[in-house]
Amino acid sequence: MQALLSFDKTPPFAAPLRFFITAPLFSLAAGLLLLWVGPDLLASRWTPGLLAATHLVTVGFMLMVMLGALIQILPVVAGANLDNPLAVARWLHAGLAAGALLLAAGFLLGNGALLGTAALLLGLAVATFLVASGRALAGVPSTSPTIRGLKLALVGLAGAIGLGAWLAVAIARGWAVALPSLADLHAGWALGAWAGTLLAAMAYVVVPMFQLTPGYPARPSWWFPGVMLGLMLAWGLAVWLDAPQGIRLAQVLSALLGIAFAVLTLRLQRQRRRARSDVTYRYWQLGLASAILALAMALTATAWPALADRAGWSILAGILLLVGGFMSFIIGMLYKIVPFLAWMHLRNRGGPRSPVPSMNRLLPEADAQRQMLAHAVALALLLAAVIAPDWLARPAGVVLAVASGWLMVNLLGAARRYRQHLEKLDREAVAA
Amino acid sequence: MTTIRTFMTDDHRRCDDFFAEAEQAIGKKNLPAARAAFGHFRNAMLAHFDCEEKTLFPTFEAKTGMRMGPTQVMRMEHGQMRALLDDAVDALEQANPDDFLGLADTLLIMMQQHNMKEENVLYPMCDQHLAGETPELLARLETELAEA
Repeated sequence: MQALLSFDKTPPFAAPLRFFITAPLFSLAAGLLLLWVGPDLLASRWTPGLLAATHLVTVGFMLMVMLGALIQILPVVAGANLDNPLAVARWLHAGLAAGALLLAAGFLLGNGALLGTAALLLGLAVATFLVASGRALAGVPSTSPTIRGLKLALVGLAGAIGLGAWLAVAIARGWAVALPSLADLHAGWALGAWAGTLLAAMAYVVVPMFQLTPGYPARPSWWFPGVMLGLMLAWGLAVWLDAPQGIRLAQVLSALLGIAFAVLTLRLQRQRRRARSDVTYRYWQLGLASAILALAMALTATAWPALADRAGWSILAGILLLVGGFMSFIIGMLYKIVPFLAWMHLRNRGGPRSPVPSMNRLLPEADAQRQMLAHAVALALLLAAVIAPDWLARPAGVVLAVASGWLMVNLLGAARRYRQHLEKLDREAVAA
Repeated sequence: MTTIRTFMTDDHRRCDDFFAEAEQAIGKKNLPAARAAFGHFRNAMLAHFDCEEKTLFPTFEAKTGMRMGPTQVMRMEHGQMRALLDDAVDALEQANPDDFLGLADTLLIMMQQHNMKEENVLYPMCDQHLAGETPELLARLETELAEA
C-alpha cells in the first residue's frame, strides 16, 4: 500500500539521465579499442582486447542503460518505488562506470588485481540495486507478465553478475576451472536470463502500447521468463555435472525460445497501426533481424560443434546479438525515453497551460535517423571485419566510435534543450 | 465476470483505435479525415476522463478515504493530456502536420504510461475495494460513456 500512496513519485530526471548520457562513452571506448589494437583483436573469442571490448559494450553500455531505465520504469509498470532513487542512482552509476573500466583494463592488461577489484565493485553496485529494487517489488503481486518477467529478470541479473564476478576472481587467482564452459554459462545467464527476459518483459508493454500492435498472447508471455530461467538453471546443473549433452540441450532450447520471441514480435509489428516508421521502430526491426540471425548461428554451432571451433563463427554471432540486437533495441528505446522524460519534467515544472516543446523538438527525428544509419554501417563493418580483419578492423572501430559519439551528442542535445527551457520557465516564474 | 479493470482497459483500447485512425489519416495527407478522426479520438478520451473523475474516482475515494493518493495523480495527468489534445487540435487547424505528429507522439506515450498505471495499479485496487458495488458502478460507467 505504501508504494501505491506514493504513486506519483517520479524519480528526478537526474536519476536515469546520468546513465543514458554516459553509456555511449563505453561503446565509443570499445570502438577506439578496436582501432588501437587492430586486426589481432578479432583473432579469437578469447583475445584480451575482445574480452575488454565485449564488456565495455555489455556492462558499460547495456547494463548501464538497462538499470538506469529500470529506476525510472519500476514505479510506472509495477507501482514499485525505490526508497531513495537519486542516492541509488548515484552509487549504482559510479560503481558501474568504474567497474566497467576496471574490468576492461583488467582483461586488456591481464591484471588479476584489476579484475578482482572490478568484480568487487560491480558485485557491490548491482547488489545495491537488487536490494533496493527487491524491497520495492516485495509487496507487489505479479498481476501481469511484465511484472513477473521483471522479477525473474532480476534473478537472472543476480546469477549473471554472481557468475561473472566469480569467473573474474578465478582468472585473477589462477584457479583451475573449466573457463570456456563457465564463460558460456555466464553469457547465457547475462543475455538470456537477464537481458533477454528484461527485453521480453518490456516488449510486452512497449510493443503493443507504443506501436499499436495486437498484444502478446497471454499464456506464452506468462511462461517465457520462467522457462528461460529454468533452462539457465538446467544449463548450470549440466555444467556442474559435466554433462555435455545436457549443456547442448539447454543451449538449443534457450536459443529456440529466443528465436520464437523475436519472430513473434516481428509478426506483431507487421500488424502495427501507426502511420510512420519512426527511428524506434526501425531500430527494433534491425534488432530483431540481427537477434534471429545470431541465435540461428548459435543453434547451428550447437548442432555442428565443428562450426563453433571455426575462427569467427562465435564472434560473428556475438556481434550480431550485442551490436545488432541489444544495442539496437536499447538505442531505439532511448530515442523515446529521453525526449519523453524531458517533456514530462518540463510539463510538471511549468503551469498546466505553459507551452512546452514537443518531443520531436527536444530530440529531432532527423538527427536520430542519421545516427541510426551510422550504427547500421558500424554493424555491417564489424561483421565484415571478422572476415577481412586486416582491411576492416580499424575502420569498423572508427565507425562504432562515431555512431556511439553521435548517440551521445543527440542525447546531450535533448538534455541541453531541456535545461534551456527549464531556465526560461524559472525566469518566467521570477517575472510573474 | 466483467471487472472494473477489464471494462476500463477495453475503453483505453477503444481510444487507441481512434488515435491510430487519426494518425493514419495524417500519414496519408488527408487533413479533413484526420480532423474528423482526431475529433472522435478527443471525444472518446474526454468521455473516459469525465466518467473517471465524476464517478469512478469519487466512489474509490469515498470507500478508501484516499483522496490525495493515486486518483489525484491521475487527475493531474488528465489535465496534461487535455492540454496536449487541445494543442494537437490547434496544429490540425493550422494544417501543420509536423507539429501534429510530434504532439501525437508525446500524447501517445503520456497516455500509455498513464494507462499502465491505471491498468496495473489503480483499477486492480478499485476491483479490490469496490467488489460489493461493481455491477451498479459498471452500469453507471457504461451509461456515461454511451451518453458522451
